[in-house]
Amino acid sequence: MTRKSLIICVFFAILALLPVVSDDSYIRHVSIVALLYAIVVSGWNVSLGFGGVFNFAHLAFFAIAAYATGILTKTYGFPSWMGVPIGIIAAVIASLIVCLPVLRLKGIYVILVTFGFGQLCLQFVLNQRSLTGGNFGFVQIPPLRVFGYSFRSDQAMGYYYLALVGLILTVVLINWFRSSPFGWRVAALRENEDYAVSRGIALARVRLATFAFSAIFPGAAGAIYAQYVRAASPDMFGFSFLTIALSMLLLGGVATVWGPVVGALVFAILTEVMTPLGPGRYLVTAVLIVAILRFFPKGLAGIPDGLATWRARSRKIDPAKGHGPNV
Amino acid sequence: MEWIDQIGVAARAIFASGLVLSSLYVLIAAGLAIVWNTLGIFNFAHGAIMVIGAYVAWTISDPAALGWGMAAGVLIAVATAAVLGLVINRLLILPFLSQPNLVLITVMTTLSGAFFLENSALLIWGPRIKQLEKVVSGNVSIAGTAISGHEATIIVLAPLLMLGLWAFLRFTWVGSAVRAVAQNREFAELSGIRARAMYAVAFAISAGLAGFAGVMLGAIRFITPGLGSEPLIKAMIVVILGGLGSIPGTVVGAYLVGFGEAASTYFLGAYWTQAALFLVFIVILVIRPNGIMGRK
Repeated sequence: MTRKSLIICVFFAILALLPVVSDDSYIRHVSIVALLYAIVVSGWNVSLGFGGVFNFAHLAFFAIAAYATGILTKTYGFPSWMGVPIGIIAAVIASLIVCLPVLRLKGIYVILVTFGFGQLCLQFVLNQRSLTGGNFGFVQIPPLRVFGYSFRSDQAMGYYYLALVGLILTVVLINWFRSSPFGWRVAALRENEDYAVSRGIALARVRLATFAFSAIFPGAAGAIYAQYVRAASPDMFGFSFLTIALSMLLLGGVATVWGPVVGALVFAILTEVMTPLGPGRYLVTAVLIVAILRFFPKGLAGIPDGLATWRARSRKIDPAKGHGPNV
Repeated sequence: MEWIDQIGVAARAIFASGLVLSSLYVLIAAGLAIVWNTLGIFNFAHGAIMVIGAYVAWTISDPAALGWGMAAGVLIAVATAAVLGLVINRLLILPFLSQPNLVLITVMTTLSGAFFLENSALLIWGPRIKQLEKVVSGNVSIAGTAISGHEATIIVLAPLLMLGLWAFLRFTWVGSAVRAVAQNREFAELSGIRARAMYAVAFAISAGLAGFAGVMLGAIRFITPGLGSEPLIKAMIVVILGGLGSIPGTVVGAYLVGFGEAASTYFLGAYWTQAALFLVFIVILVIRPNGIMGRK
């Protein structure tokens, strides 16, 4: 067992034992939301980080999954265990719809179209009041219940483990993705699109697959979130969710498997610590994003590498100096 | 001939509200276009600058606050907005200028800037909604529809400001220098133009226009920290429609979107109009990413 996999096992063991240590409902709530954010942001990392496609509709996939789960399980009476499959299917379909126009576009236009798509969905949600609840959001979504076990019992213990299992699956899937031929194609398109296409990579097919794959994660997380808080609100299409997710991704480090996970958890804790600041914490968030972009473009994930280079450099320099402390 | 009367009524209502909307969009979108033209970036904090402009004007002019009168309010709001533009340029744009993916990074930094400004507005001025007094009181009748003097002022001022902007860019040395930097930064610098100074000029003008638009909007709608986001999105549609960076295209786009929105609000209702606008926006981007009058 390498040191890295040991750290990973310890990390998940701590997360798995957390409910045993504490059943404080506030800590439980914060940790469930943090885990779900980690899943969403990891998914965004696939299209934005590994794929280099600036898809600003990612949080819209999350919202669409939440609404789809809510509407189908409450209004149309689907069983609650189908929530996650419904969320994933809805998010993947939405991602394919967004991806079609994006195939022809580059740079700022990708941002504008994906952003416009989110706003279009928001307007649709506000319009279809009888279906979606309009401004007030879609409330009283049936909670998840399997074989008579309610996931809400024991301070939402079920949701915590569901989210944790979701996160583990996310990490496994994205780890696979990174070193699979599919992942290489995605990275090749990011690094040099013209060259990659000329070497026979089918841009449209790979990009569609990237979007669909990245949408699985917000799909699942959106469904769990909707069943957990029992509501879907139009705010989920707004700037705040987007900004928070973006800061998590940047804080953790783009295009790494662990960056978004660590970023989401650290950021969620940070936000809770900053709660006494009120709206002031958003100011800190904004400054944080710009500071990371300016000074640590690789985020937290860049720190080990940075330390390694620094150590290597200092090792090289030390003998040159000729007189260490022990000489 | 009742239906002729009905068409007349519809046309007049659409004409009046379309003119007001278009004029506002011209003011907002022109600022976006100038910055896009010179720096090649999209300023997502543009709407937040409008918000700050509106709040500053309120603080200066409202009897409940300082009460120095509307003229002082407008002037100080525009000046504050311009300074704010300079600060945004210095903190959120210039440090990243040498990065290869400048466009995408500045989307993130200006989004954060907007987030910062909107929440600052919330902290400073509180969540209570405010409204500015009309810059000009009284009513004016346009083509048989009564609109407020304030709205008439916007309708008249917007084209005049655009004309002024055009003259500035066309006939003054600084204006030419701004355009030179926009066309070819390196060559402009070789001819002794300080590119960074021209960026600052472009940003100050853009933000000043945004501040002015914010003041005008603040007297029509209520001032909230989110006041700028919906008009900003409309202005984005305008700039895309007109072709990013083309000022004449932006003006045409603004009037198209303004009248289109007015007509569709009249026939389809306010809610469907928003959805229709976004659909049109996406379709245009897909069919003609360079806009109606944009260049490659």
